[in-house]
Amino acid sequence: MRKIISFFSALGLYAIFFWFVSTSALEKTIDFTIYKQYYRVILNGWITTLTISAVSLVLALFVGLVLYFMRESKFKIFVYLSEIHKTIIFGTPLVVIAIIAYYYIGNAFNIDSKFWIGALTLALYIGAYIADIYKGAIESIHINQWQTAKMFGFTRYQTYRYIVFPQVITSILPPLAGQFAMTIKSSALLAYMSTDEFLNAIQTVQSISFRYPEGFLLVTVGYLVLTIPLILLVRMLEKKLNYKVNHEIEN
Amino acid sequence: MKLRIDRLIKTYENKRILDDLTLALDDKQVLALIGASGSGKSTLLRMISGLEAFDSGQIVVNGHEVVESEDADYRKRIGFVFQDHNLFPHLSILENILLVLEKVHGRMRSDVLPEVEALLEQFGLSEHRHKKPHQISGGQAQRASIVRALAIKPDLILLDEPTSSLDPILTHEVLNAIKVLVEASIDFIIVTHEIGFAREVADTIVFMDDGKIIEHGTPEILETPQSPLLKAFLDKVLSF
Repeated sequence: MRKIISFFSALGLYAIFFWFVSTSALEKTIDFTIYKQYYRVILNGWITTLTISAVSLVLALFVGLVLYFMRESKFKIFVYLSEIHKTIIFGTPLVVIAIIAYYYIGNAFNIDSKFWIGALTLALYIGAYIADIYKGAIESIHINQWQTAKMFGFTRYQTYRYIVFPQVITSILPPLAGQFAMTIKSSALLAYMSTDEFLNAIQTVQSISFRYPEGFLLVTVGYLVLTIPLILLVRMLEKKLNYKVNHEIEN
Repeated sequence: MKLRIDRLIKTYENKRILDDLTLALDDKQVLALIGASGSGKSTLLRMISGLEAFDSGQIVVNGHEVVESEDADYRKRIGFVFQDHNLFPHLSILENILLVLEKVHGRMRSDVLPEVEALLEQFGLSEHRHKKPHQISGGQAQRASIVRALAIKPDLILLDEPTSSLDPILTHEVLNAIKVLVEASIDFIIVTHEIGFAREVADTIVFMDDGKIIEHGTPEILETPQSPLLKAFLDKVLSF
C-alpha cells in the first residue's frame, strides 16, 4: 500500500511540475481540436513508427549477428569491416547518418522507399550495439563448454546452435528489450528524412495549426505508450533472470 | 590400447610443458598418469585427445596418428571426462548424453534411448535423468559425465583428474563408477592424485615431473620406486 501511495505521490509531483510549466510559459489554452481532425494521419504515423521499429529490430538482430561473426572471423578484412562500421556508428549522431543515408546513399542506389531506407538505417545503427550485446553474452559462456563441444566432435555451427545460443538467449533478452525501446525513440530522428512516422505526422499538424505544445504532449504520450511496456518488460526479465542465476548459485 | 608417444615437445611462453616425452605401450587397458600439479600430466592427456596441438613429436593411438587439434573424426571415437564434469548447464542429464549421440554421431533418439537409460540405471542416475547439472551433487554430475563419455562407445576414454574437485565421500562414489569401466574391459587413461586407486586399477603407471616421464611400468613401481623423484613424491602423498 505504501508503495502505491509513494508511486502516485511521485506521479503527482511530476504533474504539478508540468502544470506549472504549461500555465507559466503558455499563453494559449490547451486545445486538441485540430489534432482530433487529423487523428488518422497521426495514428498512421504512430503505426509507422511501431512498424519501422519492429522491422528495424528484426533486421538489427541479423545485422548484429553478422557483425559479431565478422569480428570473430579468421579473415582480417571482415574484422576491420566490422570494427570500422561500429566505430562510425558509435561516433556519429543518428540524425547525421539518417540524412546521409536518405539523401546520398539511398539516392546513389536508387532506393526511393523512405520506409525501407529508414528501417535499414536504423537496423545498421542498432545492429552495431546488438553485436556488442551478443559478444558479451557469448563470451560469458565458459571456455570449458567450448572445449567440451570440441572434444565431443561438435562442429562450429552445432556448438553455436545447440550449446551457445540456447544459453545466451535468456541473458540477451533484457538488453534486447531495452534496445527495442531505444529503436522506437531513435526512429523519431527519421523525421529528418521525411519518413511518415509519428513525429513527422505531428510536426505536419503543428505547422498548419501552430498548436505546438499540444503536439509535443501527444508525441510524449505516444512514445511513452510504446516504451513503458518495454521498460517494464526489461525489469521483469532482469528480475526473473536474476532469480534464476541466484537460484543456480544457491544450488 | 596401443599408445606410441615419440619425442613429444610442447612449449608455452618459453617454458617446456612437455619435454621430449617418449613412451610405448601395447595391449594395455588402464594407464594412470601420476605426478605433482604442473608436471604436465593433464597437458599430455589433452594432446592425446587431439584437443590441443603440440610443437613437435608424434602421438599414435591404436594406429591413428594424432596430427593436430582439428582432428574431429578421431575425437568422436574418444570419450573424455573433464575435471569439473563440464556437463552443458542448460540441458538435463539425459539430454546431455542424447545431444552428443544425435547431433554428432547422427543416431536416432529412439534407437539409442534404451541403451542410454540402461547406462543411467547402471550408474545409479535413473531418478536424476531429467534434472539439470546444478540440481545434482558433484559426484552424480561426474558419474553422468562418465556415462556421456561411455555412451558414444569410444575406443578409449580419457579421464582428467575426475575426482579432484570432490570431497572424500563423492570421490569414493566416482572411483567406484570408474571401476565399472575396468570390469567392462574398457580402455582408459586417467590422470589422478588417487595413488591407491591407480595401484588398484591400472596395469601401467606413468610418473611425470616437470614435463618429463621419470618412471613408468607396472603398479609395482609404486612399491619399489627406482627414481628419487618418485620416491619423494610417494613419501609426500602417502605421508597423511
